[in-house]
Amino acid sequence: MGVLLLLTLVIFIVTDLMLIGILFFMVVTVWLMARLPIKILWQYCKMLLVLFVILIAMQALFYPGKTIIYQPLIPEAVPLAGGLGKISREGLIFGIIISFRLLTLVVLMPLLTMTTPVEKIALGLIKMGLPYTAAYTATITLSMIPILQNELAIIMDAQRLRAFQIFDRGNLFEKLKAYPALVIPLIIGSMRRAQSMCVAMDSRAFGASKKRTFLEDISMKSSDWVVLVSVALSAVLVVGIYYSDIL
Amino acid sequence: MNSLDNEHISFEKVSYTYPEADQRALCDISVTVPRGQYVVLMGSNGAGKTTFCRLLNGVNPHSTGGMLQGTVRVAGLDTKLHRVAELSQKVGLVLEDPEAQLFTGSVKSEVVFGAENLGIERGELADRLQRSLKAVCLEDLMDRVPTALSGGQKQRLAIASVIAMYPEILVLDEPVSQLDPAGCNEVFSVIRELNKKYGLTIIMAAHQSEEIARFCDRILVFAQGRIIGDGSPREIFANKKILTEASIREPQVTALARYLGKKGIQTQGVPVTIEEMEQYLLELWP
Repeated sequence: MGVLLLLTLVIFIVTDLMLIGILFFMVVTVWLMARLPIKILWQYCKMLLVLFVILIAMQALFYPGKTIIYQPLIPEAVPLAGGLGKISREGLIFGIIISFRLLTLVVLMPLLTMTTPVEKIALGLIKMGLPYTAAYTATITLSMIPILQNELAIIMDAQRLRAFQIFDRGNLFEKLKAYPALVIPLIIGSMRRAQSMCVAMDSRAFGASKKRTFLEDISMKSSDWVVLVSVALSAVLVVGIYYSDIL
Repeated sequence: MNSLDNEHISFEKVSYTYPEADQRALCDISVTVPRGQYVVLMGSNGAGKTTFCRLLNGVNPHSTGGMLQGTVRVAGLDTKLHRVAELSQKVGLVLEDPEAQLFTGSVKSEVVFGAENLGIERGELADRLQRSLKAVCLEDLMDRVPTALSGGQKQRLAIASVIAMYPEILVLDEPVSQLDPAGCNEVFSVIRELNKKYGLTIIMAAHQSEEIARFCDRILVFAQGRIIGDGSPREIFANKKILTEASIREPQVTALARYLGKKGIQTQGVPVTIEEMEQYLLELWP
């Protein structure tokens, strides 16, 4: 968990393309070391692809860069809009940097949730000082995500049974307009279930006293210390290189 | 101790109104339940069964914030004066939706979740884990992920995690309504065991008339916030007036006996189970 926090911090600080590339490479390595499926990594990339294209395009067009590599799309002569649409190299690179940072951050989270059972995450948070009610609320919410995905599939089937075929056959516009038909039942169902869960948790004395016992326990083993220290060292290294270049 | 045995649960002129509601959900309920009785609550939706269930462990009024008039006493404790956490050690509550009662990533931690909240020390936790899983016949599934279990298994897991807090009273609000017939049977059989073998007082809201007729000691019939019927299964299922007023379905054999009666074949008494029907028919045609 400490690894997660450190890496997040570093990603926010560093804005040089090559260093970001190194960080991303590190994260992917850890991903492979943990024997997580590459397919899922690729899925994340695909999901964010549209966002990346938009980001890169916007930055390319509007970033105040000096090296113009493409003439303005709208000629200078046109009043008001003239001069817009310059694509600068700095902008392009900046867009790519932002995309990479986003990707690395996004990929970091599943690294934690896919390798650690939920209980251990909660215990980790509690050991770091978070009150157990907050820790469990966070982990229980995380575990709701697959249930919500299931529910969404069921709602889509239910709508199909009512001859609602927009999601199979409609165009993008129709799909967007039809979202409430899916989202509203999902939200209402979730709120109802949340109320029941509150009753169930109260009935199991959740939050009754600050003193809580745990059947299982986690502790820092020597291998954990090794990982933590090595990540801390590399983080310091990366930030150091970044700042020394600037200076 | 004697009065506690006779009045394990007692309601004295209890009325309950949910916050921002115009009408009372329960009106002037007075009833006592002796220790070890297997009581079933029947009635249509909205009749007050869920409200009654949640009064037993303090969720009403402490968690929902409504207005409670009268006194609810469980195992000697006045629910107005004790928090839900304290009452949860006397009264366990199982809800209708299995998904809403699963909080952790393994069967093991699910069972001890409640006991951990109470601060039970670790050695005792392991002990309670074993005994609770044994009582619901889930010992082999200790390391499974709860979301991968069948409906019946999920509900039995919910029961296990509630009884791991060692309550004296078990309240179940429509525990099998969302289960398939196999899951239904599993859960009912566990509840019967808990009552007969472990001596827990059972309050269960349910619609499954056949099971109720066979195994329960007493039925409380709810309609519009009041109790309109209180008796053994035989007394209640033979009473056409109560059944209609509360929209309760009678057991199939009872309906059959009535139908035969209309056709001129009258049984000696009103059967509520298949065995009784068999008995009566053998009397008619030996």
